[in-house]
Amino acid sequence: MSMTDRFFKTREFRKLFRNKSAVIAMLVIAAYLFTALFVMCGGITRETCDTVVGQNKMPGFFIQQTPEQRYENATSKFLPMVQRALSRADQTAALADVRLGQERVVNKSAAQLQAIIDRAIELKNELNQSEDLDADSARLPQLKALEDQVAMLKAPLTGWSRLMQNASLVLGTDAQGRSIFLRGLYSIKIAIQIGLVTAAFCVLLGALLGAAAGYFGGWVDHGIVWVYTTFSSIPNLVLLVVLSYAFTDSEVKDTLLPVYIAFGATFWIGTCRVIRGETLKLKRMEYIQAAQTAGFSPFYILVRHVIPNTAHLMLINFSLLLIGAIKSEVILSFLGFGVKGQPSWGIMIRDAGNNGDVVSGFFWEIGTATALMFALVLAFNILSDALQDAFDPKHV
Amino acid sequence: MSNQSAATQSSPPPAEAPAPMVRVQNLVKHFPKRGGILNQVIAKVHAVNDVSFQIRKGQTMGVVGESGCGKSTLGKCVIRLHEPTSGKVFIEGTDIGSISSHALRKIRSRMQMIFQDPNSSLNPRMTVEATLREVIKLHQVVPAGEVDAKINTLMTKVGLRLDDRKKYPHEFSGGQKQRVGIARALAVNPEFIIADEPVSALDVSIQAQVLNLLMDLKEELGLTILFVSHDLKVIDHFCDSMLVMYLGNIMEEMPCEDIHAHAKHPYTRALLASNPVMDPDHRAELTVLEGEVPSPYDPPAGCPFVTRCPIKTARCEQENPPLLDHGNGHRVACWEVKLQ
Ligand SMILES: Nc1ncnc2c1ncn2[C@@H]1O[C@H](COP(=O)(O)OP(=O)(O)OP(=O)(O)O)[C@@H](O)[C@H]1O
Ligand code: SF4
Ligand SMILES: [Mg+2]
Repeated sequence: MSMTDRFFKTREFRKLFRNKSAVIAMLVIAAYLFTALFVMCGGITRETCDTVVGQNKMPGFFIQQTPEQRYENATSKFLPMVQRALSRADQTAALADVRLGQERVVNKSAAQLQAIIDRAIELKNELNQSEDLDADSARLPQLKALEDQVAMLKAPLTGWSRLMQNASLVLGTDAQGRSIFLRGLYSIKIAIQIGLVTAAFCVLLGALLGAAAGYFGGWVDHGIVWVYTTFSSIPNLVLLVVLSYAFTDSEVKDTLLPVYIAFGATFWIGTCRVIRGETLKLKRMEYIQAAQTAGFSPFYILVRHVIPNTAHLMLINFSLLLIGAIKSEVILSFLGFGVKGQPSWGIMIRDAGNNGDVVSGFFWEIGTATALMFALVLAFNILSDALQDAFDPKHV
Repeated sequence: MSNQSAATQSSPPPAEAPAPMVRVQNLVKHFPKRGGILNQVIAKVHAVNDVSFQIRKGQTMGVVGESGCGKSTLGKCVIRLHEPTSGKVFIEGTDIGSISSHALRKIRSRMQMIFQDPNSSLNPRMTVEATLREVIKLHQVVPAGEVDAKINTLMTKVGLRLDDRKKYPHEFSGGQKQRVGIARALAVNPEFIIADEPVSALDVSIQAQVLNLLMDLKEELGLTILFVSHDLKVIDHFCDSMLVMYLGNIMEEMPCEDIHAHAKHPYTRALLASNPVMDPDHRAELTVLEGEVPSPYDPPAGCPFVTRCPIKTARCEQENPPLLDHGNGHRVACWEVKLQ
């Protein structure tokens, strides 16, 4: 039986899997990981997130749009685009270019399309006679007829695009008319990606340095402790601001590299401290002395006997760092120093605030971002606690 | 008493005799205690104080004394787990303090240690097999193809079932773990073994089994052993001779034959008396030790035992008695024990 196999069958893991809330948390995390994977495999692209799917629209399932908004939706986007295309010399080519998000023009002859448009304009003009649509509720059926005409211009979506279309509208759109649902999901990938890369890098670095400091002692210890005390005195917020200015004109300015550097430089410190302490404890264990009397080299003992016995702490720290990185990413993106050029919960929250949406009761953008982040961080917090209970009852 | 100064502390081996397996010469180990704001050395623990002795090949030397008297430290200095403050350790004539760390790693296959606590002496994340394989491979005890066979031989030798090869330490009982520890020590075919209280953490019923195993192995493999214990009965049963330690000093060295008749030092006699099962005849001779064990940070100026000795004199407070040779491998450090 392999080493890892045994590792997962230990008493500690059995204890972890008996903890119901931990299991639920793990299921939630699995769902997030699955979504992140889906996004990474191209399920939701950056372009999809930036596509305008409609006017600033509320979540479809429980908030009604005002008649004014419905009128605006029907008249301002698709109708004029088709109309413009028909007026071109090369009608067919121009019509093929008409796209609004996933939507295309229905496969009809130009004459048929022209007829629909004429009827729509007729309805539009009738409705235009009154400024106030609401005042005369008799006009609402006319508005409905106008909407139907516009719908006739559109090819009905099928299969995957239909699903995406419906999904993209489920939580409404932001001020620019982009799907909040898709942006929220795409942000999962950003959060998980930053979390995983930061946590993996920092746990490995912290464990290696911490174990080396604890095990070798002397100047190695002094050196490493000095480095982490120095680094821990740099607030990573400030470091990131500096980095984001430093990378302003370089080609990496829109990538996540500055974020990785800032987090990577500071996040390993906690792990390093914990692993160093554990190593100091392990060093006195007799099996380490046995390995010394057997004549193994210090490096071998470190890698084979010390570090594997800190695995449980590495696991706990991984989970804690992941939360830390995700939260910090959101804060930094909110402040405009983190993720750039692609959606992130932090950016969504900032957009919501900038447009004054929240104040006027349009809560769904900030609500979506916060809820998604809340569920993920909560799940990881529960998991971290469960890991700590299972592996490290003393809470080192 | 004029001949006392003539008597040497550690008698060098006679020229014609072969070099002893182990020779320890004036070994001293101090542990600094740090404190204060500058983390400076504020005191020293005198864990081992000017200890000299030798063990001939195939002999078993017992080390007995109360907890904290420096038995483990002595053993760990001999095997170089601790760097001695001063003094020398010779393994068959080689001064292991003066050789390179590379050469030391080589020579280590000839000496091994069995540890006190079976719960901490095995890596919890390694199977028995992995533990043994690692050591066998390091010292290339057997050709690569025969490693598995060697593991089986070792496990059989220490009385473990072969089905247990893939088990982890937490799946074993204390006695079994100690057997694994013994197998690991034997894996490199050592000549000299330091057994640091190998049975003190085990149940009494298991102690006998493990001790018998060690006895058999000693006979079979002709091992030289430094056997540390706080139990005189075990030492008497197991060893050829013994060192009685108190506060890092050797109080008495004597062969393990008829200890009751020969023991001369008041501390040894007190140890014997406090062990009624062992000593039904002499029970009333000495009362239980009174007085405080002095702090190892601040040992008495004179005889280390002076605070508790029932027969101390004024001289004992001032001067530390030398370890005098009484012949037949018997050495005693006490002003009140006269040379015959
Ligand atoms: N690494 C160390 N650092 C500081 N002091 C130590 C260290 N190891 C041992 N000591 C001190 O040295 C003295 C002797 O300790 P040692 O472990 O050798 O005793 P022992 O005779 O083996 O006791 P026991 O029977 O309890 O195992 C003790 O006072 C102990 O506190
Ligand atoms: S030297 Fe003095 S104090 Fe020490 S054991 Fe002998 S009589 Fe007792
Ligand atoms: Mg000890």
